[in-house]
Amino acid sequence: MEEDEFFGEKTFQHYCAEFIKHSQQIGDGWEWKSSKDGSDGYMCKTYFQIKNGTAGSHLGTSADAQTCLSTEEALELPPDDFEVTETEATSKVIKYEYHVLYSCSYQVPVLYFRASFLDGRPLTLKDIWEGVHECYKSRLLQGPWDTISQQEHPILGQPFFVLHPCKTSEFMLPVVKNSEKINRNINYITSWLSVIGPVVGLNLPLSYAKATSQDE
Amino acid sequence: MAAATGDPGLSKLQFAPFSSALDVGFWHELTQKKLNEYRLDEAPKDIKGYYYNGDSPGLPARLTLEYSAFDVNAPTPAHCCPAVGTLYNTNTLESFKTADKKLLLEQAANEIWESIKSGAALENPVLLNKFLLLTFADLKKYHFYYWFCYPALCLPDSIPLIQGPVGLHQRFSPKQIQALECAYDDLCHTEGVTALPYFLIEYDEDTVLVSLLKHCSDFFQGQRTKITVGVYDPCNLAQYPGWPLRNFLVLTAHRWYLQCVSSRLQSVEVVCFRDRTMQGVRDIAHSIIFEVKLPEMAFSPDCPKAVGWEKNQKGGMGPRMVNLSECMDPKRLAESSVDLNLKLMCWRLVPTLDLDKVVSARCLLLGAGTLGCNVARTLMGWGVRHITFVDNAKVSYSNPVRQPLYEFEDCLAGGKAKALAAADRLQKIFPGVNARGFNMSIPMPGHPVNFSNITLEQAHKDVEQLEQLIENHDVIFLLMDTRESRWLPAVIAASKRKLVINAALGFDTFVVMRHGLKKPKQQGAGDLCPSHPAASADLLGSSLFANIPGYKLGCYFCNDVVAPGDSTRDRTLDQQCTVSRPGLAMIAGALAVELMVSVLQHPEGGYAIASSSDDRMNEPPTSLGLVPHQIRGFLSRFDNVLPVSLAFDKCTACSSKVLDQYEREGFNFLVKVFNSSHSFLEDLTGLTLLHQETQAAEDHLSFIRPKNGTYPAHQATRSLRPTASSEIDTYQLSSRTIPYIHA
Repeated sequence: MEEDEFFGEKTFQHYCAEFIKHSQQIGDGWEWKSSKDGSDGYMCKTYFQIKNGTAGSHLGTSADAQTCLSTEEALELPPDDFEVTETEATSKVIKYEYHVLYSCSYQVPVLYFRASFLDGRPLTLKDIWEGVHECYKSRLLQGPWDTISQQEHPILGQPFFVLHPCKTSEFMLPVVKNSEKINRNINYITSWLSVIGPVVGLNLPLSYAKATSQDE
Repeated sequence: MAAATGDPGLSKLQFAPFSSALDVGFWHELTQKKLNEYRLDEAPKDIKGYYYNGDSPGLPARLTLEYSAFDVNAPTPAHCCPAVGTLYNTNTLESFKTADKKLLLEQAANEIWESIKSGAALENPVLLNKFLLLTFADLKKYHFYYWFCYPALCLPDSIPLIQGPVGLHQRFSPKQIQALECAYDDLCHTEGVTALPYFLIEYDEDTVLVSLLKHCSDFFQGQRTKITVGVYDPCNLAQYPGWPLRNFLVLTAHRWYLQCVSSRLQSVEVVCFRDRTMQGVRDIAHSIIFEVKLPEMAFSPDCPKAVGWEKNQKGGMGPRMVNLSECMDPKRLAESSVDLNLKLMCWRLVPTLDLDKVVSARCLLLGAGTLGCNVARTLMGWGVRHITFVDNAKVSYSNPVRQPLYEFEDCLAGGKAKALAAADRLQKIFPGVNARGFNMSIPMPGHPVNFSNITLEQAHKDVEQLEQLIENHDVIFLLMDTRESRWLPAVIAASKRKLVINAALGFDTFVVMRHGLKKPKQQGAGDLCPSHPAASADLLGSSLFANIPGYKLGCYFCNDVVAPGDSTRDRTLDQQCTVSRPGLAMIAGALAVELMVSVLQHPEGGYAIASSSDDRMNEPPTSLGLVPHQIRGFLSRFDNVLPVSLAFDKCTACSSKVLDQYEREGFNFLVKVFNSSHSFLEDLTGLTLLHQETQAAEDHLSFIRPKNGTYPAHQATRSLRPTASSEIDTYQLSSRTIPYIHA
C-alpha cells in the first residue's frame, strides 16, 4: 500500500512524538521544536564529541591560529587563584546537531545535520566524513552518503547538510514490506534513523526498536 | 565529623570555569538583530544562555547560547539551567577593544551582590547565574569578536577543604542516592521545572529531603548538626566543582554564616549534583561531595571583588574571534554548494571523475552570442571558475531571448558590449566565478586591415591581445558566427598546442569538434598525415578512421578545399546572421562543453584517440564515455553522428606550411592573409595546384560529380565551388558515411 511508503505530516508528527517519548525515558536527548508560528516543527538532538587523534589536533591548531585575537590586552583584573587551570581543550569538542524534518515533496522524513566547534565554526563535510567510523565508510559511499547536499534549514534558515530524501522511500520499502509480512509494528522514524544515522555519527540505542514492538 | 579548622595542610577549593559554547545559530541571530533591529544601538541587551549537568565524561562545562538566546522568554531546554546575560555589542572593533571590562565586571558583580543581600537571589537563584558577552560583528567578513565573562564573587580568603571531594557513591548508600534522586525529581515536579540550580539537602540514613533556597528559614529550624547544599553542577571533573558554586558559596556564607556560627557549625557540605542518563540508565552517583570551611568573617556591605573574564584558546586574558564566512557569507555558501553538487556526481555516479581537471580549466570563449552564452552556462554547471569572453558586438534587441546571459535592459542605449555584459552576468549568477570580457575584434582573412596605419596598428594590437589570451587559457572555444573569424584563433591555438573546441550552427544542423592537437614542438611537427600513402589502399574501409590519435585529427578547416574569405559579402541578411532553430545553440553549446570535459577526463587529453560512432558499443575510454572527434547533429532527424577526420596536409589553418609561416613571420604573415583574397592561402598550402590538377583530371574524364546540398550550412562556402579532387571527395564521403555504419 502506498500509504506505507509515504506518509502525511500528521503521521510524521505522531511517529516523532512516539520516538521522543522513548527518548525521554532513556534520556537520549531528542526533543521537539516548533516553528515560530507553531504550524510545523522538527525533532532534534545535539550531541557532543571530543575529537582526538591526529585529525583533532590538526583542527585544533587551525582553530587556535584563527580564533585568538592578536591584540591581547593586559587587563587590570584581580588574579583568580581559585580557577582550575587545567581546562579541557575546548577547540577539540565537536557539537553535532541532528534535525529531523518532514519533506512535503517526498512525503518522508529528512535528516538535516551539521557539526561545529564550540565557537560556532562549522566543520566541513570532509571533516565530518573523517569522523565516520571506518567500518561504515565503504558501505555508506554507496548508500545514503551519496545524497548529501547543502541546503537552508526550512525553519531556521541556516545552512545545513541534508541527506536528500529522493532515495528514502526506495530503501525504506523493503523494511516497511517486511514489517507488514511478519505483522510487526514499526516506527518509521526509528527504522529510518537506524539506517541513515551512522552516516553522520548518530547511533540509535536498540531500545527504540524494542519500545516500538512493545507498543503493539 | 572532624573539622580540622585552620589546618594549613588543608587544600583549598578550586573551581572549573565555563567554556563558552556559541551555536552558529546564535551568530546568525546576532547578525539579523544587528542588521534589522540594533543597527547602531550599542545599549546593553538582555540575553539568555543555559548549562547542563548530564554530559558524558571528558566534556568541558559549557555555557551555551543558541539562536533563542535573544528571546529571554524562550523555554530553557529540558534538564538544563538558565543563565541570564547582558550583551554588549559594539559598533567598531576599536570600541570592542577599549570597552572597560573591569567596570562591566564590577557592575555585574554588584548586581549579584545586591541580589544576595536583598534576598532576591533566594527567591530567584538564577540571579546568581549571570554572564556578560561583549561582541563586535564584522558583517563584511563575517568575523565575530567576542569575550565572555561569568562574574564570580570571591570570598575574602581561600576556602579550605575539610573533606573530599569524593564521588557521591563513596559517601551515600545506594538507598540514599535513590532517595536524593527521588526528592530532587519531586521538587522539580512540584515546581514545574526540569532542573534546579541550587537547593538545600537534609538527609539521614533512610531519607533525603530537598528544598528550595527560599525555604531556608524553615529548613534550618531546630538544632542541626550539618548544613548540606546542592548545586546543579555542569562540571565533569572528579576533583573540582564547576563555576556556579562560587556565587552560591558567597550566598551561603552571607546568609547562613551567622546561623552556622550560632549553631557552632563552621563547615558546609556541598553536593555537586551531576545527573547523567546514558543508554537509558540514569546515574547521579558520579556527583561529587565535599565539605568546606566557610571563611570566618563578617561581610562588609561592599561588594567583594569579582573575577570571570574567559581566557582565550591560548590561555591568555584576551577576546576570541570566530570566522564564519564559510557558513554565513552567501558567496562562500554558493561556492561550497556548487562544489558539493559536483562532488556528489563523483560520489554518486562517477567515482573516478577527476573534477579538478575540469574545474581548473581556464576557458576562453571566442564569441558571446547564442553559442557563447550557452557554453558559459554549461561551464558554470561544471564548476569551471575561469571564463573569458571575447566579442566585438553589442547586445541588440533580438539577443536576450536566445542568448541567456542578456536581458532587455542590456540592449538599451545602443546596447552594452556583449563580452563585458556576459562576464558581468556570470558574476551575478555565481560570484565565485572569475569572468572577464574583452570587447575586441578578431582580424580575419579576406578582411583587409591596411586602410590606414591606424587600422593596421589596431589589427596588430588585436592579434597580440588574442595571442596573449590564448596563451593564458587552457581550452579555446571557437563560437563565432562566421567561418573566417575562426581562422586566426585556430592558427594561434594550433601553434600554441591548446585544446580547441569548435562549435558551429546551420539552420538545423551543427558541428561540435575538437581540433587535432599537434604533437609538442620538440617532437617535430606532427600535422602531416602519415597514413596518407597507405590509406589509399582502402580509402573506403572504416579501418582508416579507427584508432586515430588526437595529433592526427583534423581541424575545422581541414575538410575544406577553399581558404576562408569574406563569407558575409554578397549574402542576404538571413545568410549573414546565423538563423538556426532556437534549440540548436543550447544543444551544440552543451555538447561543446561536454566534449571538453570528456577530453579532459581522458588520460591523454587532446591526444586521445578519437571515438567514432562505431565505438558506441565498445568499452568507453573514459569514465564519462566516448571521446569523439566531432559530433554532427541533424535536428530534422533528431540524430547525432560521430565522424572522425584526419588532418589535411594542405589545410589552410593547421598545416605545417601555415604554422611554419606564422611562427616565422608572425604578424607580417598574418597581415598578408588578412589583406589578400582566397588565393594567398590556397597558393601557400598547395590547394591552388590541387584545384588545377583536379580540374584537368575532371576535364579529361568528363566526369563531374554533382554536388548535393546536404552539407551542413556552415560548409556552404565549400560547396559553392565544384573543385574537389576525387581523393578528397572520397575521403570526405567516407568520413561522412562511416557514422551510418552503426546498427
